[in-house]
Amino acid sequence: MSQEWNDEWELSKENVQPLRQGRVMSTLQEALAQQETSIHTAAQLRKQEFESEIRFYSGDDPLDVWDRYIKWTEQTFPQGGKESNLPAVLERAVKALNEQQRYYKDPRYLNLWLKFGNCCNEPLDLYSYLHSQEIGTTLALLYITWAEELEARGSFKKADLIFQEGLQRKAEPLDKLQAHHRQFQARVSRQTLLGLEEAADEKGPDLLGTAEPQRSSLADLKGRGKKKVLAPISRVGDALKATNRNRSLQNPTSQQLSNSLHFAVFDENSASGPAIPVLTPQPWAAPPAPKAKENELSAGPWNSVRRPHSSANSGMEVPCTLPNFTPYVEESAQQQVMTPCKIEPSINHVLSARKPEKEEDPLQRVQNHQQDTQEKKEMVMYCKDKVYAGVEEFSLEEIRAEIYRKQAKKKTEEEMQAIAQKKEEMQRKIEELEKKLKKDDKRQQPHEQPAETRESSPPLGLQGIAFSSAAELGEKQPHLQSESQLSEDTQLHKAACSKKVTQSPDVCPDMQGGSVFLDSEGEQEDQRAEANLSKKDVALLPPLDPATFFSIFDESSTSANQNISCSTGHTQKSARRPLAIRKSSDCITAKENLPPEACDELNGIEPLTEDAIVTGSYKNKTFCANPEDTCDFVRAAHLASTPFHGVVAQRIPAPAYSESALKEDCPESKSTPLNQQMPICEGTYNEALCAKKLSPIMEASQEDTRSSGSSVSPGSSLSSVTQISTIKYLHIPEKLELAQSLPAEMVTDSGGISENVTGDDITQFLRGDEQRKKLLDPMPESLTASPDFHLENGSLPVMVFEKEFELGSETYCIKREYWTNEEYKMFFAVPVNFPQLDAKGFAIKVYSQPVPWDFYITLQLQERLNTDFDQSFSENCSCFLYQNGCAILHKDINRFTLGDIIRGCKAITEEVIILVVYNLLGVVEKLHKAEIIHGDLSPEVFFLGDRICDPFANDEMTSALKIADFSHSLDLRLQSRISLPNSFPIAQTPYGQQLLAKSSFPYQVDLVGIADIVHLMLFGDHVQVYQENFTWKISQNMSKTVGSDFWNKLFGRILNADGTQRRGDEEKARWPQEALLCVAFLGRGI
Amino acid sequence: MAKQIGRDQQGITLRGSAEIVAEFFSYGINSILYQRGIYPPETFTRVQKYGLTLLVTTDPELKNYLNNVVEQMKEWLYKCIVQRLVVVISSIENNEVLERWQFDIECDKAAKDESTPREKSQKAIQDEIRSVIRQITATVTFLPLLETACAFDLLIYTDKDLAVPEKWEESGPQFIANSEEVRLRSFTTTIHKVNSMVAYKKDSFP
Repeated sequence: MSQEWNDEWELSKENVQPLRQGRVMSTLQEALAQQETSIHTAAQLRKQEFESEIRFYSGDDPLDVWDRYIKWTEQTFPQGGKESNLPAVLERAVKALNEQQRYYKDPRYLNLWLKFGNCCNEPLDLYSYLHSQEIGTTLALLYITWAEELEARGSFKKADLIFQEGLQRKAEPLDKLQAHHRQFQARVSRQTLLGLEEAADEKGPDLLGTAEPQRSSLADLKGRGKKKVLAPISRVGDALKATNRNRSLQNPTSQQLSNSLHFAVFDENSASGPAIPVLTPQPWAAPPAPKAKENELSAGPWNSVRRPHSSANSGMEVPCTLPNFTPYVEESAQQQVMTPCKIEPSINHVLSARKPEKEEDPLQRVQNHQQDTQEKKEMVMYCKDKVYAGVEEFSLEEIRAEIYRKQAKKKTEEEMQAIAQKKEEMQRKIEELEKKLKKDDKRQQPHEQPAETRESSPPLGLQGIAFSSAAELGEKQPHLQSESQLSEDTQLHKAACSKKVTQSPDVCPDMQGGSVFLDSEGEQEDQRAEANLSKKDVALLPPLDPATFFSIFDESSTSANQNISCSTGHTQKSARRPLAIRKSSDCITAKENLPPEACDELNGIEPLTEDAIVTGSYKNKTFCANPEDTCDFVRAAHLASTPFHGVVAQRIPAPAYSESALKEDCPESKSTPLNQQMPICEGTYNEALCAKKLSPIMEASQEDTRSSGSSVSPGSSLSSVTQISTIKYLHIPEKLELAQSLPAEMVTDSGGISENVTGDDITQFLRGDEQRKKLLDPMPESLTASPDFHLENGSLPVMVFEKEFELGSETYCIKREYWTNEEYKMFFAVPVNFPQLDAKGFAIKVYSQPVPWDFYITLQLQERLNTDFDQSFSENCSCFLYQNGCAILHKDINRFTLGDIIRGCKAITEEVIILVVYNLLGVVEKLHKAEIIHGDLSPEVFFLGDRICDPFANDEMTSALKIADFSHSLDLRLQSRISLPNSFPIAQTPYGQQLLAKSSFPYQVDLVGIADIVHLMLFGDHVQVYQENFTWKISQNMSKTVGSDFWNKLFGRILNADGTQRRGDEEKARWPQEALLCVAFLGRGI
Repeated sequence: MAKQIGRDQQGITLRGSAEIVAEFFSYGINSILYQRGIYPPETFTRVQKYGLTLLVTTDPELKNYLNNVVEQMKEWLYKCIVQRLVVVISSIENNEVLERWQFDIECDKAAKDESTPREKSQKAIQDEIRSVIRQITATVTFLPLLETACAFDLLIYTDKDLAVPEKWEESGPQFIANSEEVRLRSFTTTIHKVNSMVAYKKDSFP
């Protein structure tokens, strides 16, 4: 009766691998049924799902995903084999979860390993590896599996030993282990008894030793040797057959030995003897290489084999003639190296991935992998972990798509919620207004025709919509404005065009016409919804008296009204006035809502920039010019075509918005309208390009949409109106947020040299970031044990300028922002309890990753420098580690930095410079003595010390500079491998590029930093260098300064540290002392 | 046994049918016990039956027990008062039921009064039985491994009015809490129809 659906599993029962935990019949049937159609779409989809889940799993139990994935694979691919890819999945899982200590006692984790062991050539090695690594040593399953394997190979003694070990360790569940042990013992004793019986029956005990050995089957029997022809002895005995399955070649002596051993193992009396080897944990760092390779020949000399000279006429032999046939070469023999490409197997059956060259043991691969991770030499500059996280390779586009989808989903949800909320609000508003209107109407009725009264309610309804959409979408306002100025069809056209524009990935506030209708590209669904909304608006517009509508904006933009001819035509009925005024007030509130909303919208764009995806979660960044980098392409395109310039200029604000979520971004928005007329300054331009790396195709498409967008309203008065109004709106955040971040100012100040500061801020997220995370994971005890280390639950408090926030038990108020970028922020804060704006306060460094690197460096400095750890460093430093970031609090910090001095003073007196240089060298010397490279020395990182700020301070005791920021620092003791100077921010500066181009001397990075600071203090601009006779010199003319001789010497020394310093490692750290002496000496001379 | 001679020609009588079904149970239970490793494999011996090589226990006690049950079954089958035979496999350690082999028997009670045998060749019946036994063998493809030592129990569902014979006791159904059920083939002698099914403990599958 149920034969139809029963058939499948029975028909292919030979192809179904039994599972320990059994199979789900429905899955099995499905899998087997699908096999026939050979379309695994569903399975492929599910697999894809797992693959992406592995990559984007955000929970705290990654093992769970893998566990489910593996179980699913087992169930879905009953026949195992290549399709299931189970060994590969297991291998990946093992690699991915490698060294996750928390899982070591997890039975799932052990299961993973044991399953993986089945794919290995030598599971025994794996088991002892697990044992040595303490993986699953508390679980009975390990010992049971291990012993089973040994038992299957006949080493009962060892198996027993494993059981003993497990029992000794009290592996859980103990009763199961004991039961297995009992069963094992029963089996063994039964077998022994049987063996004894047989032996007694057949040969008798006295014949045991002389029993004739048997030959192994298929063995070579040809005689060998010259004088004495001997047949090779390769015999196998009965007992040997039982114990050794796969080793057939053994000589008779060992065979006898093993025979006797076979019985000795189970002799109760000798079992307790010292002969039993003790299971000693092997000190393995990595899984062992497979030893049991089959068919391996030991290497021997080839030349010892002589050619036999059998006959005398060998000399007559004809030399080899060329064969008259061409040897057939199989096509596959010259297989081309294929570029690995991702092929959907359900689509294309023809192409297949190239098979691996050699059969390699997966265990060995895992081992290699572990070794690789131990000594990581390569820096991956893209999110390799994401691309290769699962079994299948994900393309970057897929990852991007996944991120995009996630965001879109989230956005949609939020949007839907917001819309629902607004709808309610809107409804209420409408009702309210309707009530009021009724009252008004009652008053107005004597003056107006009844038809008009009827008409007056739709505008009201629309008003509600306009208000709500303005409030929720922000940009609706200008859009509506422009719409109202156009005829209906152009509006529609515009709406369509604006949609086009917004779909381009690089959205920026395009000021022309409908494209003000800004939207992040992260939510096309929303766009559709919004487009619908806007269409609704449009649809509602026609019945509306345009004049009525315009009166709304009368107050806010009077000039606009003057431009519009149609509005003059319709003089407003006086009766409408009160209504109109009320509306405009509504609009004003809406407008106030607008700018931050707009910013939010823009911030929504950011995560799609390639920084996040291609470079792997904001970590790594390619610093050097790279031919692949589309930035260069864009730059080139910019140079090549002049019209392109304007486009680029327009685009700038977008990345600027996105770069700093917290900054609320003012200068950019201010400059936005200006950009359309003025060429943008180089610094901002670069920054914008660097932040946005888009593929050339994308760029091209952008250009298209943009130009089409602008062609709709080329410089008409209409667009100018919208421009004006938008400018107005965009000014508002500026007023709200007067505190502009310093680096932003620097950009405009320093033009060409902006890279030093902003480049560091924006483009360079430390390449060592990932590594740091690893270094500090798990946190070193020195860190966590420190009394100043506070592990906080929850997330990092939001820190905004002039706002209060809580850190530890104190509440602080931020008084100043030194610099901010996506990862790091540096604030100056005072406790709220002491509100007076003191010169001294707290410096708070916020890092958006939970890696307290600065704190670590500070502690290391303290430890390594001992007594030398003085006021040059932050002595009262505490760390608050949150789940999503960390904050480092430095006490007793002066408000001003060296940068302030440089900016504030026109000319700094030489004495001060000398003092600063002296201290600078001192600080750096100490850093280097502690084998720490700062990596990003700039005037901003040096807080002024008490010696400068406090006139009453003791000159001798205090230091002029204090350094607290170690964002880019390098601990050479830990990170000696990646000490290439050109990965530091400073190496990106023009002078840095020059100076550090060929250098591999990490300390030099800081020297360049010092040179730059000194140069800044002397001449007010960044150092510029040239090379002469292999010696670096500064371009600036020194002669006008007083101590030119001294400065020349100093620069000569600092800049050429690399050329002159070909010394031993131990001396490398000592360079500053000389410079210091020199400075001290010369300083007195001046 | 005398009936065997002319069975092919004569068709199926109630008594013959009861015998065939009881014999099937005997071999079926033996097969299950062997396949599922309830008793050590060396205590089984091979016999040719239904065109298959089947394994039958040599353990005297077990043999005796099974014979008793089968004889009892035969009687009940003849009376058409048995509804179901269940082989319950449970862990010795914690008595947890791990597997449940269920053979539902549909008796055609009308056959009791009939005198003429039904038309069905013995070969056809044997073929059907063979495929059932083959399926029992094939179930290893999906059944979970029985990791602990297990014991088995035989439950027989009869009509309510039956007096419980000596050495039998009443029992619960012994269901498996979270189980996956797989229906196997069935066979019929036209008088008795046997539907087979196996239920096993479901693991935490994805």
